[in-house]
Amino acid sequence: MSGMASATNLALAAEAPCAPAVYFDGTSSVRNKVIVAATETGLRIMAAQGQHRVLDEWAYAELRRMSGPEGMLRLARRGETLLARLEIRDAHLTSIIEDRAETLDRGGAAERRLRRKVIGLSFAAAASLIVTAAFGLPALASRIIPFIPLGVEQRLGADIDKNIRPALDSQHLGSAFTCGTATSEAAGRAALDKLVGKLAAAAALPFPLRVEVVRRAEPNAIALPGGHIYVDSGLIAQAQTPDELAGVLAHEMGHVARRDGTRTVLQTAGLSFLFGMMLGDFVGGGAVVIAARTVLKSSYSRRAETAADAYSVDLMQKAGGDPRALGDILARIVEDKDQGLKLLLDHPETKERIAAIDAVAVPGRTEPLLDATDWAALKQICAPVPPKS
Amino acid sequence: MADAISPPGPAGAVRFLGKEAAYWRLRIKGAGLLLLTLGIYRFWFATDVRRYLWASTEIGGDSLEYAGLATELLGGFLLAIAIMVPLYTAIAAAALTLDTSEEAVAAIGFILLVLLGQLALYRARRYRLTRTVFRGVRFDQHGSAWRYALYALFWWTLVVATLGLAYPWAQAALQRFKMRHTSYGDLAGSFAGSGSALFMRTLALWFLVIGPIICAFVVLGHTVDWDALNKMVTAGESNPLALLTGKTGETVLAVFAAGIGTSLVAALLLYPLFAAMMMRWWISGLRFGSVTAQSLLRTSQVYRIYLRFAAVLVLFLLLTFAAAGAGTFIVDRLLKPSADAKELLASIVTIVLYVVIVLGASTIYQVVVTFAMWRLGVQTAELSGADALDSVCAAGVPSSALGEGLADALGVGGV
Repeated sequence: MSGMASATNLALAAEAPCAPAVYFDGTSSVRNKVIVAATETGLRIMAAQGQHRVLDEWAYAELRRMSGPEGMLRLARRGETLLARLEIRDAHLTSIIEDRAETLDRGGAAERRLRRKVIGLSFAAAASLIVTAAFGLPALASRIIPFIPLGVEQRLGADIDKNIRPALDSQHLGSAFTCGTATSEAAGRAALDKLVGKLAAAAALPFPLRVEVVRRAEPNAIALPGGHIYVDSGLIAQAQTPDELAGVLAHEMGHVARRDGTRTVLQTAGLSFLFGMMLGDFVGGGAVVIAARTVLKSSYSRRAETAADAYSVDLMQKAGGDPRALGDILARIVEDKDQGLKLLLDHPETKERIAAIDAVAVPGRTEPLLDATDWAALKQICAPVPPKS
Repeated sequence: MADAISPPGPAGAVRFLGKEAAYWRLRIKGAGLLLLTLGIYRFWFATDVRRYLWASTEIGGDSLEYAGLATELLGGFLLAIAIMVPLYTAIAAAALTLDTSEEAVAAIGFILLVLLGQLALYRARRYRLTRTVFRGVRFDQHGSAWRYALYALFWWTLVVATLGLAYPWAQAALQRFKMRHTSYGDLAGSFAGSGSALFMRTLALWFLVIGPIICAFVVLGHTVDWDALNKMVTAGESNPLALLTGKTGETVLAVFAAGIGTSLVAALLLYPLFAAMMMRWWISGLRFGSVTAQSLLRTSQVYRIYLRFAAVLVLFLLLTFAAAGAGTFIVDRLLKPSADAKELLASIVTIVLYVVIVLGASTIYQVVVTFAMWRLGVQTAELSGADALDSVCAAGVPSSALGEGLADALGVGGV
């Protein structure tokens, strides 16, 4: 019986191309030295020693190429739960098998096609994420903002203030950080309140405003969520007319009115989700994601600044001030200081801003929002700090 | 004809057949595609890399096979997202609504994320092992990932609390846990490396790296006038930096700078030695049944790898900056951009440079260090009793890729 089978096997092997190979049957790690014959219908796997007993037969349609080292064709059987493997290093036999078994994807053309599709789809997904982040998130944030209670925004502002105030107070002045509290500064404080009052009356803001002038040399102002505005003493020093200061205040009130603080929180959270989580973290490639986030964040803040400028122009006109004064003080500040990378990314270019302000501002007869006496008092709102004992 | 069958090595021979040039190509192409797809391609990239490394590693004449699929990694990642999104939302909501302090929520969130990270690492290891096929039999890992995570949290807390002194025992304990739950077919793994032995070997390194920082603190304890400081604090001075003005302040800063500087230099110079010690210790501790591994790795070989890395990195940085400089110069001369356009150009160049340098440095590290260390570790390893590998019965089933996905979402990485 076995003699018969063996004779048939040898006869078949003589007709079909064959070569030695290594076979693992998947039930144990025993290394079987075999002869593989490529018959018309599939591979016949026969023991290399003794009677050339047939160990297994794999049809061409079942063959699956597995990852292996260079110069080896490693085959598995499709749909098999066992990890049976056939490893062929004979180049001639490999070529014959690849010819006969279409599933083996000779030359890897199908694999490359699939891979190109994957790359194309990944690229499309990345592009879609960027477009969503650039346009979808800001639109979504605008829709959500009306549903967020003002109290939440005020609490958020208080939280941010806790963190930002020590950072702003870089000279560690403590209670002396705020201007307008000493008796000598009372007239200045009254003038500021008058100016803010005129603007606020025209603005109808959702929050009670709290404008605080602080001892900081930078010509800057910051609006926190919830209506708290910091005006740096450096800005008051730079302002040549009450309307210039009013223009900046109106710009910050624009951030308050548009609830830009909450908007930033929402947009940053959305961005963190899209870019931090969906794109995940991976060795080195994180840099691309960080760069994309940086660019998107700056695009959000440029849009917010443009909108606040427009708000300022509108509010100044309503309050009867000079809407172009904002542009004047912006130009002076920029001339004074090196326009760094951060400013460039976060704010639209100053020239563009001024042009945009001039374009919407309707020129007309205006008269300063504060008279000369009040303005002189306001300029003195930050008296020199008494030396510390 | 005999040559057509894989070249039979001695039973315990471990070889690495990978070529660095091929690996460079694989890595550079992958980095480019990561860039274009914002990283979405990483599942396919990681799969390609693993296939290459596994197939290039040969034990007793037979190479390993990585049988994982990129789509499994993608699926695992999506599943991880489905778990992480509600979790993150819950943490954020708790931070906003609960009356507890932000710090408490942050601390609980941190511990939770560390636990999840360790859990992910353990499960990711399981995925990789069950996708590793050798001679038609897969590796496997069992044991509870939650238990491992708690165990790891305990040991890492101890490592931090002892300023790193407990590190050798932590490593030994965690390796023992992992290897005890690892098997190749029905051949059970174990780990024989001893924490005390590693401690004795690395103790000198600990003194050289952590010592200077401790010294700085001891010196400070003697120089700072604590009474005066106490008086200032009770007098209402809240700003800690103001306490460091004048002569004492300068001394404090100088002592700190000296301590941390010495520590950093020592760490930089000694890191290859540490890496060599760890790899020798780890490989020599691996056991599968009666099969034992022994590493003959020499420290000088590891130093050579890191020196080469430093040289390639410096060369890459020089070339990149030179190219950026030349490019800007040419644009400047030919197009004569306005001041505003120049600034815009500068910000674009900065962002592109950042991406190129980080991605480039990571690619260089992966090839010149990670690949070389893998090759070195494999080539200097020797197995004894490897005959036991010839008749192992198959066991185990493939696990899900959730761990890989979690590790990915949490940024605790893998290969």
